[in-house]
Amino acid sequence: MRLLSYMGQWKSAAKEVLDRTAIVAKFLCLLHVTNNYLCSPTLVYGPSMLPTLNLTGDVVLAEHVSHRIGKVGTGDVVLVRSPVDPRRILTKRVVGMEGDTVSFYVDPMYGQTTVVPKGHVWIQGDNTYASSDSRHFGPVPYGLIQGKVFFRVWPPDGFGTLEQ
Amino acid sequence: MVGLIGRLWNLQYKSIVKEASGKTLAVAKFFCVLHVTNTYLCTFALAYGPSMIPTFNLTGDMFLAERLSIKFGKVGPGDIVLLRSPESPRKVMVKRLLGLESHSVTYVVDPMNSDRCDTIVVPKGHVWVEGDNIYNSRDSRQFGPVPYSLLEGKVFCKIWPPKEFGSLMKSGMKDPDL
Repeated sequence: MRLLSYMGQWKSAAKEVLDRTAIVAKFLCLLHVTNNYLCSPTLVYGPSMLPTLNLTGDVVLAEHVSHRIGKVGTGDVVLVRSPVDPRRILTKRVVGMEGDTVSFYVDPMYGQTTVVPKGHVWIQGDNTYASSDSRHFGPVPYGLIQGKVFFRVWPPDGFGTLEQ
Repeated sequence: MVGLIGRLWNLQYKSIVKEASGKTLAVAKFFCVLHVTNTYLCTFALAYGPSMIPTFNLTGDMFLAERLSIKFGKVGPGDIVLLRSPESPRKVMVKRLLGLESHSVTYVVDPMNSDRCDTIVVPKGHVWVEGDNIYNSRDSRQFGPVPYSLLEGKVFCKIWPPKEFGSLMKSGMKDPDL
């Protein structure tokens, strides 16, 4: 008799746990969809985008809509999957789209000019002295662009859109 | 009398709206599940074009491609992969993977005109893809090694036409003497 009442209690407790889990799962799904297809906050760090982005780390908002509709252009700061290490995402500025002629300096004394091939973009860090970018690994296929950075959230004195 | 009719109409309207939104929610949930399965588990696609003859027909074959192997790095030479074209970011193409990073790949540069072969070492983070029909395929021999992140799926099963249904063998080279 007591066993039956315990089973009843357990059943209702299990049902409540499942309901709560379902709510949490739905929330995580919504978060995941927003992160991947709309807008996501990202922590970016490193010296390659000084002075635009700090060395020790900035939290920026990146939107994931523009690159799907072809609205990424020269001058945009973008999140790009590294062609050298598929697990890393880089933050660089687009300096040339396909068909553009790009002049760059790998070595301060020696300049080169290339034309960006079809379907690719040329990305460079703002701090050319400490950035590993298209000057080293060449133009990057457009399909590797993950998002466009448009807003900085942290640190608070850098709150706002990024300067060109 | 008018008030009664008004109240009845309200009740009907509310229940219709409730049923419609319930059905819409169910359809939306179904599409969400479909989208998640498509993007993260398994997708089917239609491949057309001459570059993968004889594995895939010219006019179009339907196949299943799974997405987990790519994320876990479990692809290797000989696999047929789905990848985003490095020349046209909106196009997805089907080719065979011939070399991973640091593999040495030997390929025929221009089989229509000469027998010249070239060897290249695939750079870090890249893969080398070629179509099975090297006479009519635009692949790594033209646009170079492709970054690994452009891979989107691994093809494992052909589902249309029905007489060619079945899993795709690792080595696509059919020896006519066998």
